[in-house]
Amino acid sequence: MTYAIESMILLRRNLLKTRRVPMLLFFALFQPLLFLFLFSQIFSSLGDLPGFPYESYLQFLVPSIIALTALNSAFQSGMGTVTDMDDGMLDKFLIAPIHRLSIMTGRILSDGARIILQATLILAVAWLMGTRYATGVAGMLVMLVLAALFGMAWAGLSNIIALRSGNAELTMMIGILITFPVLFLSTAFMPEALLPDWLGTVAKFNPITYIVEAERALVNEGWDWTAIGQSLAVTLVLGAITLTGATRAFRKAIS
Amino acid sequence: MSLIEVTDLAKVFDGEIRAVDGVTFHVDEGEVFGFLGPNGAGKTTTIRVLVTLSAATSGTAIVDGFDVAANPHDVRERIGYAAQFIGVDGDLTGRENLVLQGRLHGMSSDGANQQADHLLEVIDLTEAADRKAGTYSGGMRRRLDLAQALMHEPRLLFLDEPTTGLDPQNRHALWAYLRELNRDGVTIFLTTQYLEEADALADRIAIIDQGKLVVEGTPDELKAGIGGDTISVTVDDVEGAVTTLKGLDDILEVQAHDHEVTLYVADGGSRVAEVVRALDAAGIAPHTLEMSEPSLDQVFLKHTGEHLRVEEVAQPSRMVMGRTTR
Repeated sequence: MTYAIESMILLRRNLLKTRRVPMLLFFALFQPLLFLFLFSQIFSSLGDLPGFPYESYLQFLVPSIIALTALNSAFQSGMGTVTDMDDGMLDKFLIAPIHRLSIMTGRILSDGARIILQATLILAVAWLMGTRYATGVAGMLVMLVLAALFGMAWAGLSNIIALRSGNAELTMMIGILITFPVLFLSTAFMPEALLPDWLGTVAKFNPITYIVEAERALVNEGWDWTAIGQSLAVTLVLGAITLTGATRAFRKAIS
Repeated sequence: MSLIEVTDLAKVFDGEIRAVDGVTFHVDEGEVFGFLGPNGAGKTTTIRVLVTLSAATSGTAIVDGFDVAANPHDVRERIGYAAQFIGVDGDLTGRENLVLQGRLHGMSSDGANQQADHLLEVIDLTEAADRKAGTYSGGMRRRLDLAQALMHEPRLLFLDEPTTGLDPQNRHALWAYLRELNRDGVTIFLTTQYLEEADALADRIAIIDQGKLVVEGTPDELKAGIGGDTISVTVDDVEGAVTTLKGLDDILEVQAHDHEVTLYVADGGSRVAEVVRALDAAGIAPHTLEMSEPSLDQVFLKHTGEHLRVEEVAQPSRMVMGRTTR
């Protein structure tokens, strides 16, 4: 059997598992919408500030909520890995004549699939709230792909923590601890022009900034290939680091 | 032909804990091989090396012609394994669990579904097949786990304490099924801490204690190795009792462990009165006296100096509680 087929079998199993806990799925979909609603209302007057470069705060915010959701979702990845270790399922996979890496691949791909589902809902609800997408459906599809790839890169980090600690609570806590500073030290909630200088500098080194800016261009301006390219490059570098680390942690955990 | 060849196998944890300390044995095609020992003896560690989940520190293990270290993939294709700790996905249904294992062993979707239907019937889970496995009882989960190991019809099955935690009824049903599998040609490597289980199922038994193989043979050979019956007494004055009993005629052996002195004789039944009289004459009053015919417990006692103590995972049943009250 090939690596690809094995990964798909495990991807399907992970998605089936998600579907079997409807409450979990509900909250995974509800939480981003809650953030979308809260942030867009609380900060709506920011859109009226002089120097705010977008039509409304909502137009500005949608990519940020997608990035937030991708991060959040990615940090659940490691918890699934810990559950599989605790349930004896990891041993069941290891005993099967499959490529060992398909176990990690199936896990990360299922995170990507979940993020696509979540981001689709965000885009749709934001449209109902009045957001208009400059690049149309094609742009929205690109946004989904960028978000999923970005989330999968972070899922690698979540799995490193999970495989090294073997502890679900710790994996979740570290995830939350990383999510918020990383989000707020970027241009996710405030345009660069309105950030303090030092924060603007920090934001330039934050991968979130690039994904948010690329998606923001797709929503508000059009096809900004430079931004898309930068976003992909940042994701690729980040993913190469985290997934290499996760692979190593995985090999160590099962040896 | 040997399906399993283990030579000088050792597994050392943290550089000092010798969980398995140089064991050598072989398992022939078609037999049920019982690996018997108390908790912590090294049974699970050995089985995890054989099923490629753990690497040996030294020594070799050949399973169905393939070295577990050099060709783990080939080994995995040929074996089924049910761990002591059940690996069942509680969010998936029984059928989905089975199909997943089948697919991971290279079966087609149709093939896996057919085989799952068949096995669900065999393990009597057809009615519960489409319920989440998380709702199953312990016995049902155990059966499902075994069926998972059988999906790809392996000819070699590894079972790590397959009946731990099962009630007697489920245990006997599982034994019957394992015998049937064996009759159909499946070679079974089984670990257990239940003497009766090894006695009931195994063609050959190896006793492992503290990482070392103590003795190996068929149940009858092992029992015959004791050479007779045993009479055990518990006394305060162990030395006195040993001296007294060694003074009797036609004694095969006298052993002492803690407060228990065990006497090996050819015909236990006719010697009990003599033993009591001798101890009485020496001024020793035994607290308990027990005569047994050769059993695996006696084998274990003789070779390890201890009774095989089983730590029950399940709650003690009323019957067990009743027996302890006098």
